[in-house]
Amino acid sequence: MEYGKLLDCLLTLGEQMLICGAEISRVEDTIGRISDTYNVEKTDVFVITSVMFLTLTDGESNTFSGTRRVSKYNTNLDKLHKYNDLSRQLCAEPASVEEFEQRIEEIKSEKPYPLPVQCLVCAMISASFTLFFGGGFRDAAVSAVIGIILKLVIFAQSKTKVNMVFSNVISSAVLSALALLAVKSGIGQEASKIIIGNIMILIPGVGLTNSIRDIISGDIISGMLRLFEAVIVSLAIAAGYILMAVVFGGVGI
Amino acid sequence: MSSLNVYLIQIVTAFFGSMGFSLMYNTRRTKMLISAFGGAIGWSVFILMTHFLSGMDFLAYFVASMAVTVYAEIFARIKKTPTTSFLVTGIIPMIPGSSLYYTMSYAFKNEMDEFFSTGIYTLKAALSLAIGIIVISTAVRMATATANKLFKKK
Repeated sequence: MEYGKLLDCLLTLGEQMLICGAEISRVEDTIGRISDTYNVEKTDVFVITSVMFLTLTDGESNTFSGTRRVSKYNTNLDKLHKYNDLSRQLCAEPASVEEFEQRIEEIKSEKPYPLPVQCLVCAMISASFTLFFGGGFRDAAVSAVIGIILKLVIFAQSKTKVNMVFSNVISSAVLSALALLAVKSGIGQEASKIIIGNIMILIPGVGLTNSIRDIISGDIISGMLRLFEAVIVSLAIAAGYILMAVVFGGVGI
Repeated sequence: MSSLNVYLIQIVTAFFGSMGFSLMYNTRRTKMLISAFGGAIGWSVFILMTHFLSGMDFLAYFVASMAVTVYAEIFARIKKTPTTSFLVTGIIPMIPGSSLYYTMSYAFKNEMDEFFSTGIYTLKAALSLAIGIIVISTAVRMATATANKLFKKK
């Protein structure tokens, strides 16, 4: 059997699952289970949020090792579900390494919702949460428009190599500036409600939830990394907002 | 507006907010609806709890987050999908986004007393949510581990 190819497939699968928002224990567990179905003598896998190590040992004590650096996340629960399904199927009825590779590629190449849909989704989120936190319908409408612009800003940043902290500062500054402008020009009523609705889009919900789940399954390092990342993102959001609040001299806050 | 109306608006918008998040993370069809109902149910439990336990918001956060986690664990098993899918989206309406905002705005206005009290409220709320998730997830983990052991022995 081609251990090199299997190693590569397992690393790719693990990497993709991490990117899509899987917990550490799920990734380690999946890799272990799949490699068992290929009759690998021994599998050693260690994963933290930003890097994966995998060593496969065959019957004659030959080892095959690989490392994969994971630097960018893009939560996609649909793909995660499909990778999970793939591992379930492989455990139920083993397939050749080639087929395994091909099926990973199939899932990997699936496209997320198109940008216009994503924009509308963001509009829905921000309008909902503006209402949720006690804003009026007029503010919700303003919030929806800002949500669309915010999504475009986030999308534009994902195309460049801006780091996470800076990109959150920018996003938060843009949404705060727009909300304050809307109130200043009399279109919106309460800047606070508009800003809160839009901040919900930036809040690192997946990071927080996964950090808790990692910590309870004993992956303390990864849990801490994710938790700290979430804290830093929150601080970046605050920084962007305070920047604009200073520029606009605290109007309507 | 009467408080019943306010609650109704909150539950409906929690539904759409959670649905929005599940769409943002590319969830489709039935799973999207399950996520949306998770958000609405979680918030309904929270409202109910704040009603019965007035002044004990953190207990309400704790109970509501347990409810969402139970919901997510159940549906994750039914739909054979990672629990995270329904947990992340269901917990969203409870994430203390507004108190985070007010914490920032007090910091900006230099109102230190309010800054500390809202800041601590935000942290406590987040902690209550986390503990709620931890309690249920741990219980589920223990239950599945025991079930597996019994199954294997047979």
